[in-house]
Amino acid sequence: MQREGSPWTGLWAVAAKEAADHLTSARMKIVLGLVILTAIGAAYGSAGQLKETVGSDPFLFLRLFTTAREPLPSFAGFLGFLLPLVAITLAFDAINGEYQRRTMSRVLSQPIYRDALLAGKFLGGLVVLTICVITLWLLVTGVGILSLGLPPSGEEVARGIAFLVVSVAYSAIWLGIALLFSTWFRSTATAALAALALWLLFTVFWQMLAPLVAGALAPVDPLDPMTALTQYNLQHDLMRISPTTLYGEMLTGILHPSTRALGLLFRSQMEGALMGAPLPLDQSLLIIWPDFSGLVAGIVLVFTLAYVSFQRQEVRA
Amino acid sequence: MSLGRAWLSAFAAASLITILPASAETMMMGQDQAQPVRGLWLTTPFPERTVDFGDTVKLDISLKNKAMPPERVELALDGLPEGWTSEIDGSGSKVSAAIVGTDDTETLHLILTPPKDSPKSAGTFAFNVRGTVENATPGAPSKLDLPIKLTMAEARPAKLTLDPKLPSLRGTAKSSFDFELKLKNDSPKDTVVNLASKAPDGFQVAFTEGYGSQEITSLPVKANETKTIKAKVKAPQNVAAGTYDVAIGAQSDSITAAAPLHLQITGQPKIALMGPGGLLSGTATAGEERDFTFTVANTGSDTARDVTLTARAPSGWKAEMEPKTLGELAPDAKQEISLHLTPAKNAVAGDYMTSVRASGSGVSNSADFRVTVATSTLWGATGLGVIAAALLVMAVGVRRYGRR
Repeated sequence: MQREGSPWTGLWAVAAKEAADHLTSARMKIVLGLVILTAIGAAYGSAGQLKETVGSDPFLFLRLFTTAREPLPSFAGFLGFLLPLVAITLAFDAINGEYQRRTMSRVLSQPIYRDALLAGKFLGGLVVLTICVITLWLLVTGVGILSLGLPPSGEEVARGIAFLVVSVAYSAIWLGIALLFSTWFRSTATAALAALALWLLFTVFWQMLAPLVAGALAPVDPLDPMTALTQYNLQHDLMRISPTTLYGEMLTGILHPSTRALGLLFRSQMEGALMGAPLPLDQSLLIIWPDFSGLVAGIVLVFTLAYVSFQRQEVRA
Repeated sequence: MSLGRAWLSAFAAASLITILPASAETMMMGQDQAQPVRGLWLTTPFPERTVDFGDTVKLDISLKNKAMPPERVELALDGLPEGWTSEIDGSGSKVSAAIVGTDDTETLHLILTPPKDSPKSAGTFAFNVRGTVENATPGAPSKLDLPIKLTMAEARPAKLTLDPKLPSLRGTAKSSFDFELKLKNDSPKDTVVNLASKAPDGFQVAFTEGYGSQEITSLPVKANETKTIKAKVKAPQNVAAGTYDVAIGAQSDSITAAAPLHLQITGQPKIALMGPGGLLSGTATAGEERDFTFTVANTGSDTARDVTLTARAPSGWKAEMEPKTLGELAPDAKQEISLHLTPAKNAVAGDYMTSVRASGSGVSNSADFRVTVATSTLWGATGLGVIAAALLVMAVGVRRYGRR
């Protein structure tokens, strides 16, 4: 049977309600408080480090995001680690929580399609995450202006906006993963644990596992140097399955304007190259574009999986 | 009586000399050795001389006393032509009498000034410098006479000569041409010589004396003296090759001397390379050919020959010049050349250094050219394709399950 009316009816109502619920919920406050504290700490530390070490850099504000001061990691490193946590916190009980509270049938008894419910929950979480990321970015920039006494230049602002977009996409894929688990598992605890396990795997263990897997799949023949290249490429491709690797690569491309390529480079390719010369913004974006498009495609696929799984579920329980 | 006896004895002596000349001579020599010269004299080294018209005449006069007691001598001039004034100087002041000690000599200067409007006619006149000794001691003369004869003659023309040691020098526009000149004052008078030069526009001439470093514009030269001066000629930097004449002149009161000098300036080509629009940077896309127009200019003063153009780029790049050679490039001429640059297909984005070199016989120049390589946007389209495929999967999912 073909449905009637627009599948988007009620989408914005669900999204707005979801966002409002998130912003007032206690766990959101706890997680956001943690993130903001660490982020400000990292930014403050890097600003102090910058004042001590970097004399003149055309991209001083970008250094603010990437400079680390022991024992804290850099701001970008923090985001790579903590943004998935925020996203998981927002979405691990998005669908199964409704079942547990026995509110799903009530919601769906309204003239709202399932499509709109799922997309609305995703969009609501995304709005909250976007607000969160923008707030963090503004906070760090403000700390930078205060401590460095300089306004950011036009190119720095443009790269900062690219950084925002990339960060939102990165949190969106984790939001999608958490949403997927919340449709797959009826128990919210299982869904949360599964999402957290994947988070740990990708942020911590994947960079240890990928070389092992690559070494097993493509062993290096000492007589054939090309096998080493094959192994490296395989390892690099495996690493790129992890969204954290993609995010790190994209941040390198955007926040370090002198980055010329993200993969392996032959010496012949760098002959005559002026090292350290910054790339124009469009070239930097071109470098990270494959990673970004892969990430966006990943978001769409994960959401599609969640959608298919949700559409096939029995609601009346 | 006594006078008559003296006469007699004198006559006898004279007759004796005439009779016995040989014995008398020996006798007189014996007398000289026994009795040295003694007396009081007024002398001058050149009692007859020629002087120029209208010139003040200076004569050195010596008052000599040999083995006589100091005598006071009144000095006066007799027979000076009308209109002439005279002055006798001793130790710098005007004197009219002098005392000369025993075995002593006083040097006096006689200065004769001709009348201002004296006719310039040749002629001779004589006069007498007379010294009168009052109360002369016995044996000393009471009157000293010094007759002097001056011949007026036309002045010997003054002459100044300026001789270059090496009148022609050869060098490049950058070298310094040092000419050595001998300046001779060939006249009886001291003079001050002004130096002047006439050189083509932009040439600079400076004079120094001998090995000195001070630049001079005039120098004193004594009568019959020769001085060495140096003329340093500097050509302007951009002078064309060729022979240039520089005239050096020396001028004293009324006379001049000149010396023509020749500079043979050999040209030198100089090549300048300019990038497109004066820039030394450009952009290119990996794997795609891009043309950059360079300008080769000869900023030197001679024709640059056999100019070869080469370009250097990282390996894997194609860099070709068109044309590859320029036969001749005249001074101040420009020629546009093209650099066809193709970055390697696998070149990564960023800045690279290439260089263009123009080298001719004896000259070369190179320019570093910075190329910003942009990568092809083909991958961007591929990324969009990936996203589109994902969206297609979602559309299929929505179409299949979107009914509840």
